Amino acid sequence: MPAPPPALLPRRDDAARAALADVARRARPVSGAHDRLVDVPGPLGDLIPGRGLRRGSVVAVDGAPGAGATSVVLALAAAITAVGEWAAAVDLDGTLGALAAAEAGVALDRFAVVRPPGGGSLAPDRWATTVAALLDGVSLVVAEVPRSVRAADARRLVARAREREVILVPFSRGGTWPAEAALRVRATGGAWPGLDAGSGALADRTVRVEVEGRGVAARTRTGGWAQTRVGGWATSRAG
Amino acid sequence: MGDEPRGMTAPERTLCVWCPDWPVVTTRRARPELGAVPVVTVLRVDGRVLVTAASAEARADGVVPGLRRREAEARCPGLVVAEADPAADARAFEAVARATEAITPRIVLERPGLLTFPTRGPSRYFGGDGALAEQVLAAVRAVGVPDARVGVADGRFAARCAARTASPDVGRVVEPGATPAFLAPWPVAALGGPDADLADLLVRLGLPTLGAFAALPASAVLARFGTAGVRAHRLAAGFDEHATPPAPPPPDLVEVAELDPPATRVDEAAFVAKGLADRLLARLAALGLSCVLVSVAAETEHGEHLVRGWRHEGTLTATALAARVRWQLEGWLTGQADVAEEAFVTGGLVMIRLSPEQVVPADGRQLGFWGGDAAARDRADRALARLQGLLGHDAVVTAVASGGRTPADRVRWVPWGDAREEPAEPPAAWPGAVPGPAPGRVYAPAVPAELLDPDGRPVAVSSRGEAAGPPTRLLCAVLPGGGGAVRAWAGPWVHDVRWWDRRGRRRRALWHVVVGAGDADDEVACLVGIEGGHASVEAVYD
Repeated sequence: MPAPPPALLPRRDDAARAALADVARRARPVSGAHDRLVDVPGPLGDLIPGRGLRRGSVVAVDGAPGAGATSVVLALAAAITAVGEWAAAVDLDGTLGALAAAEAGVALDRFAVVRPPGGGSLAPDRWATTVAALLDGVSLVVAEVPRSVRAADARRLVARAREREVILVPFSRGGTWPAEAALRVRATGGAWPGLDAGSGALADRTVRVEVEGRGVAARTRTGGWAQTRVGGWATSRAG
Repeated sequence: MGDEPRGMTAPERTLCVWCPDWPVVTTRRARPELGAVPVVTVLRVDGRVLVTAASAEARADGVVPGLRRREAEARCPGLVVAEADPAADARAFEAVARATEAITPRIVLERPGLLTFPTRGPSRYFGGDGALAEQVLAAVRAVGVPDARVGVADGRFAARCAARTASPDVGRVVEPGATPAFLAPWPVAALGGPDADLADLLVRLGLPTLGAFAALPASAVLARFGTAGVRAHRLAAGFDEHATPPAPPPPDLVEVAELDPPATRVDEAAFVAKGLADRLLARLAALGLSCVLVSVAAETEHGEHLVRGWRHEGTLTATALAARVRWQLEGWLTGQADVAEEAFVTGGLVMIRLSPEQVVPADGRQLGFWGGDAAARDRADRALARLQGLLGHDAVVTAVASGGRTPADRVRWVPWGDAREEPAEPPAAWPGAVPGPAPGRVYAPAVPAELLDPDGRPVAVSSRGEAAGPPTRLLCAVLPGGGGAVRAWAGPWVHDVRWWDRRGRRRRALWHVVVGAGDADDEVACLVGIEGGHASVEAVYD
């Protein structure tokens, strides 16, 4: 069927057209039996095989504070809320910046954050129960991994994610995820070129990531992107 | 009047206790310095801040409930605006409910500040409606509520109207059968609440009084205004609002939860009660019923038994029911220190029971066509509610953007299940807001740090917002390697927060600082605040 005749809508009403296109995109079946990939837009998608996340797989994200790992997990969460589904994050120290999530494109009303009471950490079995409960409820779970995580718990969560067809994103600070992961994304640092000694502004940044896993050429792929302005992913991919 | 509405059950003779502007009363109790100044309480509704109650001084200047805050302040200079707290109101009203309960056990709370009960038994015992009203007034005054009005009439609506015309010293009793005549001269606006739009329309149609509206034939009202119109018509004519007398619900609809160990904290009990409320309403919905009067019962480990009824104008939704149950449990579990009374219960709750006392056929509601994926929402809801049971109500949150300058101020975390109260449009940028992208990690409270100048001294910022020297080193526990040399910076921006408030005033200077990490040209950007000579890292751009 050719494209519908455009004369049906008032020609000038771009906002209405955009809204209609958005509705059409959301109303189409999001996961047919054949496509279990969730599109990851932007430069991060360029680094991921197939430009998408497979449902039921594990994407382990790692990076020192300030290296950009939070930006990576928020981009993944944004990918899932963009198709109208739900995401959740286990935020052990209660520091996840919701404003950054909104700027990354996460729909905040479909993004639940679990912050353990008292700002403390969770006991290992509590942590595993929490993540398992989230795997029952939403389509993507960002789970900050405590240092004391047990390999047996991790393997059980991987199996549960595969069974529920939920994307599990274990997020750690310089540790490694002690179980299988389809992709391992490590943020290794970056620079803030816009700012100088006492002049300029904190606006532009570069992020460098290493992606390792099945389907990635030569097992690892190093790339990066520059984030310019507020909330926009843009330009330069160095592969 | 016209042909009589169906379901001619004579309305029950009802006594209504009304404490005018109860939210203002509780606000003044908490802040005695507001004794003689005009006070209003406000609540955010759909992004607008509306007045919910106004003190007599404010009313004298034309401030009425429903006004926007801005307009109220314009009408009454010197107005003190307080945030409404329905839970605190309900807690304080529990004392009035308890005092009334000494007279009759069948009281029903309509909202904090308003309760009703049928007078049939107690009225005969005390020797008539007038004597009963006196008893109630005396009992309410004895618990420290000087301004209460009591009205007696046929039906709850008329009793409420009667209470409004009562003087503070003596109850207003409308004789049996005289209710239609009593209501006839009232303006249709008295219907209030959900019928405000209808009342407005009736005035424009030339029906300014309840009497004129009641004189219309019921069938014509149904044809023109639908079921909501018929309900209002019945009220105006002095009948009960529901045509069919509310049937006693099937006995197996009662929802009970045993608590082991006993719940001593409000949030534990309220969490269990929320589950009960959801289940109860789901089962009622499956039967095509909705609930207008629910009784909340609890038992303590020492065998004390507490029951209280809550009625809702319209029908109870899950959130509305859960809120009422929570208020009630707060009233029971929290000591009433402000009315000089000991706590009502002596132990934790071991049992909570919700039973629908009156049910009506559900009118149904139309779900939005583009309402999103309801199944996914349900699934998420179940999982997140389960986690709240595991970790506590406040442990599962979603974020709402709000106004502010720093990244921590610009986000409000709302527990899952509470109303998000999102503003209609995203909040505009505040002047003085921290520029640039939003940081991925926000530390609240901020993490202590050291920002040092070339001489190794802490960087100081003068009251004019000038730094004594450039920052060269930043040390903080959250930075990789504990911090390091400063490569670039911007600032300081000085925030003089709440400068008009001597106690709440804060002055702080904010810096964007980029620190070198490792030996490569990697950099970590963070937001550093200096307050009272102490630096701290407020956020890291991750």
